[in-house]
Amino acid sequence: MAKTLSLYVERNTFIHRVDSINKILYVLVSVAIPLILPYKFVAVLLILISISFLLLAKVMRRVIPLIEFSVIILLSIVIIQGLFHAGNKTVAFHIARITFYKEGLSYAFTLSMRVINILLAFAILVLTTKPSELIEALVKKGLSPRFGYVLSSALQIIPQMMSAVGSIMDAQRSRGLETEGNLAVRIRAFFPLIGPVVMGSLIETRERAMALEVRAFNSREKKTFLNERQNLRSDNVIRLILFSILSLSIVLRVLL
Amino acid sequence: MNKRRLWSFNFTTATLVLIPAAIGINYIGKLFAGVLKLPLWLDSIGTALASMLSGPVVGAISGAINNIIYGLTMDPISFVYALTSIAIGITVGIIAYNGRINTLWKSIIAGVVVAIVAAIVSTPLNVIFWGGQTGNVWGDALYAYLIAHAVPVWIASFLDEIVVDFPDKIATMIIAFLIFKGLPRKLILLYQSGENIEKLD
Amino acid sequence: MKKVVVENLKYRYPLSENLALKGISFEVEGGEFIGIIGRNLAGKSTLCQALVGLVPHFYKGAYSGNVEISGMNVLENNISELSKKIGIVFQNPFTQITAAKLTVYEEIAFGLENMGIEIKEMIRRIEYVLHLLDLEKYKDRNPFELSGGQMQRLAIASIIAMKPEIIVLDEPTSQLDPQGSEEVFKAIQSLSREGITIMMVEQKIEKIAQYADRVMLMSDGEVVDFDVPQKIFLRDDLLNYGVQAPVFTRVCRSLNIKNKNTGLYPVTLNEAYELMVRHEHNRS
Repeated sequence: MAKTLSLYVERNTFIHRVDSINKILYVLVSVAIPLILPYKFVAVLLILISISFLLLAKVMRRVIPLIEFSVIILLSIVIIQGLFHAGNKTVAFHIARITFYKEGLSYAFTLSMRVINILLAFAILVLTTKPSELIEALVKKGLSPRFGYVLSSALQIIPQMMSAVGSIMDAQRSRGLETEGNLAVRIRAFFPLIGPVVMGSLIETRERAMALEVRAFNSREKKTFLNERQNLRSDNVIRLILFSILSLSIVLRVLL
Repeated sequence: MNKRRLWSFNFTTATLVLIPAAIGINYIGKLFAGVLKLPLWLDSIGTALASMLSGPVVGAISGAINNIIYGLTMDPISFVYALTSIAIGITVGIIAYNGRINTLWKSIIAGVVVAIVAAIVSTPLNVIFWGGQTGNVWGDALYAYLIAHAVPVWIASFLDEIVVDFPDKIATMIIAFLIFKGLPRKLILLYQSGENIEKLD
Repeated sequence: MKKVVVENLKYRYPLSENLALKGISFEVEGGEFIGIIGRNLAGKSTLCQALVGLVPHFYKGAYSGNVEISGMNVLENNISELSKKIGIVFQNPFTQITAAKLTVYEEIAFGLENMGIEIKEMIRRIEYVLHLLDLEKYKDRNPFELSGGQMQRLAIASIIAMKPEIIVLDEPTSQLDPQGSEEVFKAIQSLSREGITIMMVEQKIEKIAQYADRVMLMSDGEVVDFDVPQKIFLRDDLLNYGVQAPVFTRVCRSLNIKNKNTGLYPVTLNEAYELMVRHEHNRS
């Protein structure tokens, strides 16, 4: 596993330079608008906009592993809903002797567009933002620094624990632990594997807590930040655009 | 039993450091389920342990942050299922506080309760995002069978979810119980001390 | 002002029946290097933690007596406040990494950000400790990629950057290999030269003899003796306390080579060498 949990792809594009908070706002707006204006073309439009941002950020190829799992589920949904959806009346087409219905397919399509829209909006956030910068941006805006710490440290502690597990697995296997075979064998393998790492991690929490305390973790002073990010004028412009679009869609909803 | 109030939002440094460890344990559980090809998710063991050690609030937060991190680093839809993780954390926390999960039977019963709660919270999410499916092969096969036979979507979806949640959550609680039993007393004490320094002599 | 003043310190851990510290009193002057020795469970770590406030604020438990660090009372101030005056380095280099930062440089900044130090000053301090602890070439490395000795030096650097007047080290090399240990002792020597007051628990008795101005012998929650190394290592009952005199001292004792002026045996290699050379010279 990578040393830190992050999907960030290092590139030097405009999208990368956008303030992290704005990217979060983009995700929220992208998710909200199809709910406010539930027309199929709205979702499709947003998807196209997200795709263009992803292309601008030159990270389109990295999107695929991110959405793989969901796309597979979506395919199964299209099939199951197309065949068995409750309101199925109108025939869409036949394959061999199996009938797919319009209502089910339409429903599955709407679901899929919603899911893909969310995934792509998130992809922009996740692929173009360094987690440390994102967390710091949130802390600067008011998130408790102690929680900022919880998030930041999780991103490194989790991979550390996973690689410790890898070592334990090898060690136990070399001591003769069977990890393949019938279900009973596999279940019995579970505890010698999980025990040491879990115990170790929990016991370490005490030492780490003490180390944090003596690094002034609970100081009541106003925190300072080593990394100062310059506020770009584009940050405010983008924020304005996002809020305008959101307001516009609410207005449209009320009018239509 | 526990000197702390059940719904305390007073986080000591020790409880904050517990959260990433709990999430790590969730990840490890999930990893093992995959490597050992067990037909379970096993991705809430850490959340359960956090709740047993430190109460429902910390358990809920561990669960929520787990899903947030998973959402930001693997699969964005996990974000929404933070609600389920929160529910699991709260449930285990309440059960542990009121009844001390200290026998195998109690952990199995806890597992049943958690499974039902998790299924109740997940079902609406499943219906909204996945039309009622869960992504688990067996569960979804059952779902397909049920709606093909005109069973209402909500019931079919709930059954889809519970068929996977029962074995998963019961196993999770048994594992959490066994691990908890093996923890050194000093550690458990760290999370459950009273708030005061006594005056000596 | 005395840097450390301890008056009749008593402490009992929660749910414990016995006192871990049974009435400890001593004082330390600025710039002194104090070595703390004694067998396991003698109370050395508890004492270290009592100096920085982890006892009692982190553990709770039962506490009485008075501990003043540069004039600050430990009971009345929280650990973060005390960290401005006194720092501590623990045994395990790994758990002292916050894990919240991706480079050595930022890791050192962690404590400074918490203290609200202004950026220019932060950078000044970080560069200073990187140099002092010989970590400059690692400043952009991920802390988890360092060796044990490097990690421990990073822990020391992170604490020193906070500019405490006193630093406590609780067996800082017990989890390191010989090279790592040497790196850390070299670093501690640099600290000592900067005038920082140092209190170090160590099992490597030769190191204690080499660096310490005074040595505190602890047993069963009490201070048995607190004196210059030569006097401490003159004691006949050291083994009862789970401690052995430095090898040079033992050798000189068995050869009856002592310093004619003080009547004390040497405690370091250099002292022993000088005396033995003179002894040989006198004999021939």
